Amino acid sequence: MADPDIAAFEVIPKGKQFEDFEVGQVLEHHWGRTLSQADNALFATTTHAFNPIYFNVEAARAHDHPDTVLNPMLVLCTVVGLSVEDLSEGGGPFLGVNDIAFTRPAYPGDTLTARSTVADKRESKSKPAFGIVTWRTEGRNQRGETVVTYERTNLSVKRNAGNRNAGDLS
Amino acid sequence: MSALQASSLTADNNYFEDFVVGAKIRHARGTTVGDVENQLLTKLVMNTAQGHFNEDFMKATPFGRRIVFGLITGSIVVGLATQDTAENALAELTMTGLKFRSPVFEGDTLYALTEVLGTRDSAQEDAGVVRFKHWGINQDDVFVFEGEREVLIKRRSHWGAK
Repeated sequence: MADPDIAAFEVIPKGKQFEDFEVGQVLEHHWGRTLSQADNALFATTTHAFNPIYFNVEAARAHDHPDTVLNPMLVLCTVVGLSVEDLSEGGGPFLGVNDIAFTRPAYPGDTLTARSTVADKRESKSKPAFGIVTWRTEGRNQRGETVVTYERTNLSVKRNAGNRNAGDLS
Repeated sequence: MSALQASSLTADNNYFEDFVVGAKIRHARGTTVGDVENQLLTKLVMNTAQGHFNEDFMKATPFGRRIVFGLITGSIVVGLATQDTAENALAELTMTGLKFRSPVFEGDTLYALTEVLGTRDSAQEDAGVVRFKHWGINQDDVFVFEGEREVLIKRRSHWGAK
């Protein structure tokens, strides 16, 4: 039997473009993520996050934590990661992150979810194929408690700019 | 009650009292970014942007190859600085001004630089807040990352013998 024509298969596109965002719009991001002791140890050790509270449960308990503390950069990266398909996978470089606040510790077994509000959108003077979008994002645990908040700004590709899915260049 | 003496696990030269405004530190270790740091950590944290993990796709872009997720670069730079700046920290508090100044590619080696911007008392008497500026540079001394960070660090006066 002959192989099918590859061109006959349709891509289901991922990500949003500049025109899809309106100031004040709220996006509840997909999936959520339960972070484990293994996730935490892997992330902390591969990034050299050498404070024992991240990988020595006895050290964490000696500082009144019930378990190792999830490395805050892991928490931040996971909340950003969960938001990527909605916010930036459509294409456009990561410009910056501001006002990050780690508001409470998270622990292995906690389930993080992410929600963003479009805070600002404007044209890019230097790159006409892109606009600039700023989102306020909040990461929460399974009890709805905020664990991290921040503001992220990206270039966001415009529709029909010829570079759809050019990749989140964050 | 744990029998562990926490102060025996960490150095005695990086309590709150040891940080002097204006001090500049070049952290001793660098790290070469490979598949583990880029592909694995990017996927571990649910980042779905294939610019970080699809080499074939990236060949068609001006970058020509995968680029490292900026916050993995940031996490490595903060990580490389952590033993010297937060081995005796109680908590990471804030970060701001994170900029991804130049793309990082797999195979690049990252190093971290830190300046102590400020120190202040905290609401709790056993610790103080230190404000750092961090920079990440690659093997060619190109600045790839910068950002400010505030950390709550134990005071030796309260924690040095615990």
